[in-house]
Amino acid sequence: MTTETASMPARDLESAEDIIIAENVDKWFGDFQALDQISMRIKEHEIVVVLGPSGSGKSTFIRCLNRLEEHDSGRIVIDGIEMNDDVRNLNAIRSEVGMVFQQFNLFPHLSVMNNITLGPRKVRRMPKLDADALAMQLLERVGIPEQAEKYPAQLSGGQQQRVAIARALAMQPKIMLFDEPTSALDPEMIKEVLDVMQELARSGMTMIVVTHEMGFAREVADRLMFFDEGSLVEEGTPQHFFENPQEERTKLFLSQIL
Amino acid sequence: MVDMPAQNPQRIVLPPHRERARRPRIVRLREWARRNLFNSRAGTALTIVTAIILGLLIYGVIYFVFVDANWRVITDNRWLLFAGGYPMDQEWRLWFSVGFVFLLIGLTYGTWASLGRRDHLFIVLASGFAILLLAHGGAAIWSTLWYLIAVGLLYAGYAITIRMPREAGPGRTLQQRSVAGLLIAALPIVLIVLLAFGGARPRELEGFVLNLVLAPVGIAGGLVIAIPLALGRASRMKAISWTCTTYIEVVRGAPLLGWLFVALFILDDVIGGELIVRAMVVLAVFTAAYMAEYIRGALQALPGGQSEAAHAVGLNQFQSMQLIVMPQALRISIPPMVGQAISIWKDTTLVTVILPLRELKGNADSAIAQFEFTPDRIEAYVFVAVVFWVVAFIMSRISQRVEGSLGIGER
Ligand SMILES: Nc1ncnc2c1ncn2[C@@H]1O[C@H](COP(=O)(O)OP(=O)(O)O)[C@@H](O)[C@H]1O
Ligand SMILES: [Mg+2]
Repeated sequence: MTTETASMPARDLESAEDIIIAENVDKWFGDFQALDQISMRIKEHEIVVVLGPSGSGKSTFIRCLNRLEEHDSGRIVIDGIEMNDDVRNLNAIRSEVGMVFQQFNLFPHLSVMNNITLGPRKVRRMPKLDADALAMQLLERVGIPEQAEKYPAQLSGGQQQRVAIARALAMQPKIMLFDEPTSALDPEMIKEVLDVMQELARSGMTMIVVTHEMGFAREVADRLMFFDEGSLVEEGTPQHFFENPQEERTKLFLSQIL
Repeated sequence: MVDMPAQNPQRIVLPPHRERARRPRIVRLREWARRNLFNSRAGTALTIVTAIILGLLIYGVIYFVFVDANWRVITDNRWLLFAGGYPMDQEWRLWFSVGFVFLLIGLTYGTWASLGRRDHLFIVLASGFAILLLAHGGAAIWSTLWYLIAVGLLYAGYAITIRMPREAGPGRTLQQRSVAGLLIAALPIVLIVLLAFGGARPRELEGFVLNLVLAPVGIAGGLVIAIPLALGRASRMKAISWTCTTYIEVVRGAPLLGWLFVALFILDDVIGGELIVRAMVVLAVFTAAYMAEYIRGALQALPGGQSEAAHAVGLNQFQSMQLIVMPQALRISIPPMVGQAISIWKDTTLVTVILPLRELKGNADSAIAQFEFTPDRIEAYVFVAVVFWVVAFIMSRISQRVEGSLGIGER
């Protein structure tokens, strides 16, 4: 990795293409509306942090982006691919979108190595040797190459989450979704995961991150979005949010967590 | 650790119990007895009464086994009990199968567990029991030799696998896959050896051999049916889930005995004449209903995040089931499945009541139907019970050890 340009966004977002487009997305659970007319455009290489109180629909929204949830109406387009019932589209989207979960969701019966190589081998039909080499490279990148042959239960929470990031990266996605990646971690392990995410952001990955880590939001995000009761209430730069939020609900939320 | 003041580091105090530990064994024993057996007047009385009952019981058993019993009902009918109508000139096929299974037990133990002192003791005792039985009559030397070779194979398989590295890695994976593959292939291999290429006809499978064939077929067949059944019951498609639910509830609603009657009187038109095949089908169908429920329970116990993560890395529904969900669900359900396996093992005796199939218990009945052995029914049934217990014990012991090393219950 050759990075270390001192300031964060060394990426040209002006001329970048929209890689995620959501238009008027609704999602219902029975007669409960979890998402209400969500619209947004996210550019390639952009880092978006999603904020909002618990139950506001943050998880539901990003899960719609790789179809772990099916949206009921509206449109979602990922890198030019329409999200619909076409299985080929779904497969194409899923291999472009990686996801990291709050509870890691590593496969406990597989070694770290096999957790990472499973996707490339089974979905991309990559030969085992290539997949193993790729996995080792990714483990180096997240800083735990020595854990390759262990099982998830033998690792600390922070290490598990880093393996989960490596597992998602192994599919060589263009977009990474993070759903509260540090919320299940002990405080002393949060930083090691955030560091990996920051490095990833610098490398040009498009990222949507649901998090309560305000330091990360302030330093790394290009744009913040605030969700409340299923609606996208306010969006803007970190500067806008932390110095000059407009909506009452945003102000109230920020006053509670800062 | 609390830091001690470093003033007088030379003062080392011996732990006070050192002195007591040196006292003679007999004194310690006496003290243990006083504390645990004779701690009060009522306790003393209870200990004495229990000792008397236990003593009488042990005396009774020893007297029966070594003095009273006439074990000729067993030794004279050895072949009848063991293999019944199996053609005697094809005996090598039986021994080949025994050796193969023993080898597999050794390989399994060496791969996923290790033999402890108790396991060795059990093997020695069980072998003593077996040799006592085999070392009579004309071919005694040969069958004893066959048996010893089988035990040798067990230890050989164990010795090979226990030396292989246990750390996760390609070698370990290969070893586990090979042994698992052999285990899966074992049943067809044994059936081929017993029946094909000039072996016995199916109806000539009898005695202990018949139990040993029926139970694995029921268990393996049950498992094969149970997996789709469990998935079907959990399916979102109503037609499929209702069909599977109905199957499970109907089959579990009647006792095995009832289903064996069905096999005898009704299945003739469906499956054809071979009784043993009908019994196998009933055992598998019956076992499947129970196993499906255990698998379904395990599927529900599995966190939903597992299949979500599988989909997130791009696996489709089938791959997610095959590679992520099922391996974990099967692992969780091993303990109740073993219980079911042991129960179906004992239930193989039921086929004797309904079908003219002669398994071990059935042939024990034939043995005591002979005029000279009519007084010896207790000996015959005690023997049958012990044999069933030994096999059930082996099953539960192996599964315990394998469970332990698979880390079942931990995640
Ligand atoms: N599978 C589901 N079934 C029913 N309700 C759900 C389901 N998933 C989420 N919800 C509801 O949708 C709302 C939004 O949930 P979620 O997106 O998880 O919120 P957040 O991630 O912002 O905390 C919550 O009220 C939640 O209870
Ligand atoms: Mg959430």
